[in-house]
Amino acid sequence: MFELRKVEKNFPNVRALKAIDFEIRRGEIVGLVGENGAGKSTLMKVIYGAYQHDGGEVLIDGKAVRFENPRQAMQKGIGMVFQEQSLIPNLSVMENIFLGFEQQFVKLGVVNWKKMAAAARYQLAKVKLDIDPKTITSKLSFAQRQLVELAKVLTLEERVDGELVILLDEPTSVLAKEEVELLFKLVRELRSRAAFIFVSHRLDEVLELADRIYVMKDGEVVDHVSSAEASAENIQHKMVGRDISKEYYREEKQLAYDADRVLVELEKATLPGHYQDISFQLHAGEVLALVGTEGSGREAILRTIFGLQKLVLGTVTIKGCKVESFSAEAGVASGVGYIPRERKIEGIVGGMNVYENITLSQMSHYSRFGFLRIGDEKATARDWISKLSIKASSELADCGNLSGGNQQKVVLAKWRSGGSDIILLDHPTRGLDIGAKEDVYEMVRAMNADGVGIILIADTLEEAIGLSHTILVIKDGAIQKRFEGSPGAKPSLFDLVHYMI
Amino acid sequence: MNLHSLKKHFPWMTLVALTLFVGILDPNFLRLDNLIALAGDISTLFIMALGITFVIYIGSIDLSAQSVANMITVLATLFLAQLGWFAAPVCIAIGALFGLVSGYVSNRLKVPSFIATLAVGGIALSVGQYASGQKALYMDAGLRNEAFGWIIGTTAGLPREMIIAFVLLVVALIIERRTVLGRALQAIGAGEPAAIASGLRVNRYKMIAFAISGAFAAMAGLIFAVKLSGGSPVMANGFLLPAIVAVLVGGTPLTGGVGGVLNTFIGALIVAVIRTSMLYLNVPPTAQQIFFGLVLVGAIALTIDRSKVRTVK
Amino acid sequence: MSNLASRGDLQRWAPLLVLVALIVFFTLVNPNFLSLKNFARISISATPPLMVAIGATFIIIMGSIDLSMEGSVAVCAVIFATLFTALGGTLGGWGWVALPACLIVGAICGLVTGTVHVGLRIPSFMASLSMGFVGIGLSLMMTGGDRIRVEDPLFRSLLTQRFLGFPLMVHVAFAVLLAAWFIQRKTTLGRNFYAVGGGEELAHASGLNVRRVRIAGFALAGVFYAFGALFAVAQLGIAETATGYNFMFVSITSIVVGGTALWGGSGGVWNTLVGVLIVNVINNGMIVMGLPRYVQDGVLGLLVIIAVVLSTDRKSLAFVK
Repeated sequence: MFELRKVEKNFPNVRALKAIDFEIRRGEIVGLVGENGAGKSTLMKVIYGAYQHDGGEVLIDGKAVRFENPRQAMQKGIGMVFQEQSLIPNLSVMENIFLGFEQQFVKLGVVNWKKMAAAARYQLAKVKLDIDPKTITSKLSFAQRQLVELAKVLTLEERVDGELVILLDEPTSVLAKEEVELLFKLVRELRSRAAFIFVSHRLDEVLELADRIYVMKDGEVVDHVSSAEASAENIQHKMVGRDISKEYYREEKQLAYDADRVLVELEKATLPGHYQDISFQLHAGEVLALVGTEGSGREAILRTIFGLQKLVLGTVTIKGCKVESFSAEAGVASGVGYIPRERKIEGIVGGMNVYENITLSQMSHYSRFGFLRIGDEKATARDWISKLSIKASSELADCGNLSGGNQQKVVLAKWRSGGSDIILLDHPTRGLDIGAKEDVYEMVRAMNADGVGIILIADTLEEAIGLSHTILVIKDGAIQKRFEGSPGAKPSLFDLVHYMI
Repeated sequence: MNLHSLKKHFPWMTLVALTLFVGILDPNFLRLDNLIALAGDISTLFIMALGITFVIYIGSIDLSAQSVANMITVLATLFLAQLGWFAAPVCIAIGALFGLVSGYVSNRLKVPSFIATLAVGGIALSVGQYASGQKALYMDAGLRNEAFGWIIGTTAGLPREMIIAFVLLVVALIIERRTVLGRALQAIGAGEPAAIASGLRVNRYKMIAFAISGAFAAMAGLIFAVKLSGGSPVMANGFLLPAIVAVLVGGTPLTGGVGGVLNTFIGALIVAVIRTSMLYLNVPPTAQQIFFGLVLVGAIALTIDRSKVRTVK
Repeated sequence: MSNLASRGDLQRWAPLLVLVALIVFFTLVNPNFLSLKNFARISISATPPLMVAIGATFIIIMGSIDLSMEGSVAVCAVIFATLFTALGGTLGGWGWVALPACLIVGAICGLVTGTVHVGLRIPSFMASLSMGFVGIGLSLMMTGGDRIRVEDPLFRSLLTQRFLGFPLMVHVAFAVLLAAWFIQRKTTLGRNFYAVGGGEELAHASGLNVRRVRIAGFALAGVFYAFGALFAVAQLGIAETATGYNFMFVSITSIVVGGTALWGGSGGVWNTLVGVLIVNVINNGMIVMGLPRYVQDGVLGLLVIIAVVLSTDRKSLAFVK
């Protein structure tokens, strides 16, 4: 009844979806799995109308349709239960359920609350949620809110003629085990009312719930199996299955690290809600990769070491000194440099030129009594522009106008010129073209050779494996497994994925 | 040359166009002595606008400047009798202190700056009313001339206030272009998250920006008090609107990050020319308020960086 | 969870507790405070600001802010008085027409402010501040700085006629408050204010026309400002530019002190009633205690800072400009 045929979606420089064939039949539960960046979320956005496909066809009951926005998709019976809460917390449950569709309860501008409450109760009964529809949404538990969202989507049943397709985006990520069981039971019962597309990075759950599973990789559907015949192992192979080129990641330049010089040490570090009991050491000349799915707690660990997030339990020791006050100033002062994922937001200051960006973290080195020595700043900038071969017209060029790779180099120059010897890389190659990526890998090796310790959150698993000496696999905020990755003895993708999901 | 790069040049082009326009209406307008008088009249307002520039530059706003200036006219008059010339640094310090409080309330206590400065302005107003006993005070002419005679009068045909304003402009320009503080404020205005992630003490610098605004408002109040030889808690009323207009038409947008004190200089001149042209066009003074209100709306709408405000509340 | 709820409940009732505590305190200091006569005095001075604050409450619930009330009140008062005088100067004759006209003028003022804010996409605090300046200028131009006297005994009976010990205007104001409550509670528009304040993007994604809700909110607020202007004129028998003076500060303070958070989505007109009473009890109490009147602005300034700080969940805020 709902079908995608050779659907394409292109963004500038990226072909996000490549000839996707996808089909869902009445009363079916279809699973969708893939690594981060495999194209799952883009595909979902096309389905529920947030993105418009620019190739192929979207068919409902054989007729081609096109959604300009989510509301149009809803009118055709396609609803989305969001991973991040999409209920307005200060409104009552019934108001949320009928938000934007209150007109049916309104006469002369006055809302008939009794009528709305009765209608809401009917919807809540569908999801077996026995609460007063007048309850303020913020007082509900996460599990209850999820059911309310489901009830909100199920109002489409009365509103549209055709069949319903409901997308569940990582619905279990905030739920406890029993709650997951309840949700699954409910979804199975609701098959009589709607078909479901279930997206999760927990493969076991997908195998349990779905009838059929689509596996995505690099914007393509690489496999399509019925879950009765599927095995977790096979799917995991399909999700990753790529060869790693040794030259690409400069493996021949990987040197052994200095095991005697510990730069950063975490002991039983815990930040409730993000990670717990994390212990590891980073040595001079080492690349330590944190591997895990989105939301596994990797970013929070990085931000804690830099000082942007405060630790609750445990200790962080930087170069032998226990960190007492967590702030970015303190982090920078002790030699930590942070290369953030949001390069244009947290990395460079657009509107400021190259030398201003490079010295931003260390203006005290270039000033006397608060007055800047601009000549020295420019000299340093010119020095690093040639060292890292930054393509900028001069040190006076606006960083906002540089290409992504060159912006990344400027951020790196900021930390390296200031003498930082602990570098935190958060998706350093995201959005860069291949040449720029290779430049980043070169720089990683060069920094290692200088005795710099690097903690890496890589864009892809291959990158993590190729670059690192040590890999920590993190799942749900805890270290699952530690791998050594000296050249020639690196773990395989499959080894990692096995512990990730 | 596209519209975006042209935008940077709008302010001075507006100034030139306006000046020519008025000059055509009345060639006397373009006489040197008239232009000097024009610049002299705007000096006090310009000094206040200079201070506000620093706050707007970091994407905040200072609505307390007028109340602080009001308060300072009263305090300056009172202190003159006891402290003589030393009243000046004391007044400036008090202004900076009020600014610092605004900065603390808005940055540490996370109260939006327009409310924080409105509230601190209320406190300044109270202090002014309390200190003055709610009446106009007058400076002793002898004392005034002894301590602050250098503020009034002319040098080489130029009004002293204008020279003071010019010196302050240079000081502000040095702060903006040549100091760590200025660079930090620039980074905060253009990209606060990146400034934080570079380890800058963002909160401290923001508080200093408010303190600068308070200090400049105090200087404006002080000069005003000396000029009029007295103080009252309503003396500087009517300053706030044109001061903010001067900053915004100069090309420092409400969202901060671009523009700066030189822009405010041009903005203040635009305000001066508009005011004068209204006299030539026989527009009643009451209509000026309406006009400046509309100019303010237009200037905000033209300069604001909408990519920085995700939802416009 | 129960801890959270109790904290929420405490925050909800805190303004009322503060009000009661203030009344007890001032009564202990000076027993004369607790008298019908003094309460009538408080209610009279609270009436115009209550009207203005109710209007602004809707805007703050949306997460926006309106700083134009001084201008709007002045324009409404001046136009009302001018029209009233021109139409014979008495409610007995055609003068009554000036009453609805005044409310319409208020709505237009709000409509203009809202349209400027939404249409030009500039933050409401600056849009409304600018339009407030324009309003003050407009009223100045109309009056030439003069006062217009409104001496019709029938109109002034709003102040002079008493019923149950309180002047007529207090009763009328209470009726307006109930109407505002009805709008807040029972109408789509009122509920939409909360939806916009609670999650603008979500509301938009659900198909709500957020822009239209915003503009309607400003227009509605304008009507309440007009009520405030009418009561202010009835109180003093004078309409002038200064009629609007100080309304901005008092009303915003009252709203936040009453527990309507500046971030939007919470609070309501009853909170505003409590807030206005707190502010006026403090003012009155200071006078009863013999403190000079001009300390008021300073006290309000401190009060607003404290109230905003207490109502802010600072963990959830990344940046405050």
